[in-house]
Amino acid sequence: MATHVELIRDVLDKEVVDRHGREMGRVDSIVIAVRPNRAPQVTAIELGPAVLAYRVRPVLGRLMSAVEHALGIDEGRPLRIPFGDILGIHRHIKVDRAFGETVAATLEQRLRAWVGALPGSS
Amino acid sequence: MSAIVDLVLGVVTSIGGFVEVGSISTSAQAGSEFGFQLLWAVAAATIMLAMLVEMSGRLAAVGKQSVAGAVRERFGIHFQAVPLVAELVIDVLLLTAEIGGVAIALKLLTGIAFQWWLIPIGLVVWLVLWFSGFAIVEYGIGMLGLVTLAFVVAAWKLGPDTSDLAKGLVPTMADHDITRYAFLAVSIMGATVSPYLVNFYSSGTIEEKMKEQELWVNRTTAYLGTAFGSIVAMGVLVTSAMVLEPRNILVDSYEQAALMFVPTFGRWAIGLFALCLGIGCLGAALEITLNAGYVLAQVFGWEWGANKPRRDAARFTTAFTFILLMALAIGLIGFDPLKLTMICVALTVVAMPFIVLPFLVLMNDKRYVKEHTSGPIGNGFLAALTIFAGFLALIVVPLEIIGGS
Repeated sequence: MATHVELIRDVLDKEVVDRHGREMGRVDSIVIAVRPNRAPQVTAIELGPAVLAYRVRPVLGRLMSAVEHALGIDEGRPLRIPFGDILGIHRHIKVDRAFGETVAATLEQRLRAWVGALPGSS
Repeated sequence: MSAIVDLVLGVVTSIGGFVEVGSISTSAQAGSEFGFQLLWAVAAATIMLAMLVEMSGRLAAVGKQSVAGAVRERFGIHFQAVPLVAELVIDVLLLTAEIGGVAIALKLLTGIAFQWWLIPIGLVVWLVLWFSGFAIVEYGIGMLGLVTLAFVVAAWKLGPDTSDLAKGLVPTMADHDITRYAFLAVSIMGATVSPYLVNFYSSGTIEEKMKEQELWVNRTTAYLGTAFGSIVAMGVLVTSAMVLEPRNILVDSYEQAALMFVPTFGRWAIGLFALCLGIGCLGAALEITLNAGYVLAQVFGWEWGANKPRRDAARFTTAFTFILLMALAIGLIGFDPLKLTMICVALTVVAMPFIVLPFLVLMNDKRYVKEHTSGPIGNGFLAALTIFAGFLALIVVPLEIIGGS
């Protein structure tokens, strides 16, 4: 049975989990493709602090991109996940990805190397 | 049986986080300047906090959402940017003030200047958070916080007139320094209804995996626990009113406030006051630090949890560490703990409408609280509270300028 989904209410800003249920982030942006002579089409969701900051103020988005670049974690970001890879829209948005294999995990992995080096971290 | 244990622990340890620099300083100042006349402000603030805490627990138990997470999802980042920035700024400044409170307590005990204690205290806070789970932070420090019942014992031993106490619970206008009186009344509200308490409680409800069937535990803990903490705040006010006001001693530093224990506890007075201040502030410092990590992780959708290995929630761990470092940096620049506390209290009042307003929507949205939506009485209270919070936010800055000192 088809379910009615409202993009802003049910998708934007919702928590995203990977196929194993691990938190990946939130839906920071929705990508809609607009082509000549064709109906606009929702193509993907995006995750990343720069697109989130851009929504608040474009200048903040550019600033966040610069910070990501300075930290060396900007490659491939923001993470764009095609709408077709969404497995379910419930309390969370479940996507057909493994968190550790995506660029959404870059910062977590970088920090984990430092945090994990300290006694008592695991 | 487990629910009963949770309930008793929750109520008894509610003092942890409730009795801290804000409540001690505002109640002590109110008592020393206006006697029992501002008891009503403590009572009113307690009702406000209890309502918000109960709702945040209900949201977490039923919707499995913290307040910060639900606000991001329901209102979007445009709305949340304001309360998020406000909460983080207040958290950092209040954390500096709480660390300052512990440092003043150690100064009272050792005579060593409080600035020397800031880094060791910061290290203790971080080590406790690094090595402990949620239960130690919430219940362990809460149990130690029972020492603050000394304020209630002191008030009891001083034998206040019950009819005078009852009169203090009815709002009346002061016969002198009206702006100062209004400022202290608003400050008591700001000190009590701290944004960190609301989100910390909802995050704790998720950490402890409270079920929808245990909502009665949440309701009872919220109301009884807040009332229990409020009795201690009232104890501070009454003791201050009976000891400091007749001697015209104004609370312009924590050292002055410590004198309120002298008639009751004699040579133990300063040490006991230091213990109350130190443990109360340490508990609050732990909760604020953890809450800053919670808020950032929940807003951005990171993995979080005080019970998870720190390595498995590296961004959450880094976030609370960063906030703690910022608070220490501000502390090392130099500050007056009492003045900083009063600034935090005023900022909290300014931010209060943004804390209260989302509840009016969230607690009526069945996607979050299912059939446990607020009834007409709850909504009426909340609507009145939102308007009242807006009014307080408008008047607090002028009052701070005119009646703040």
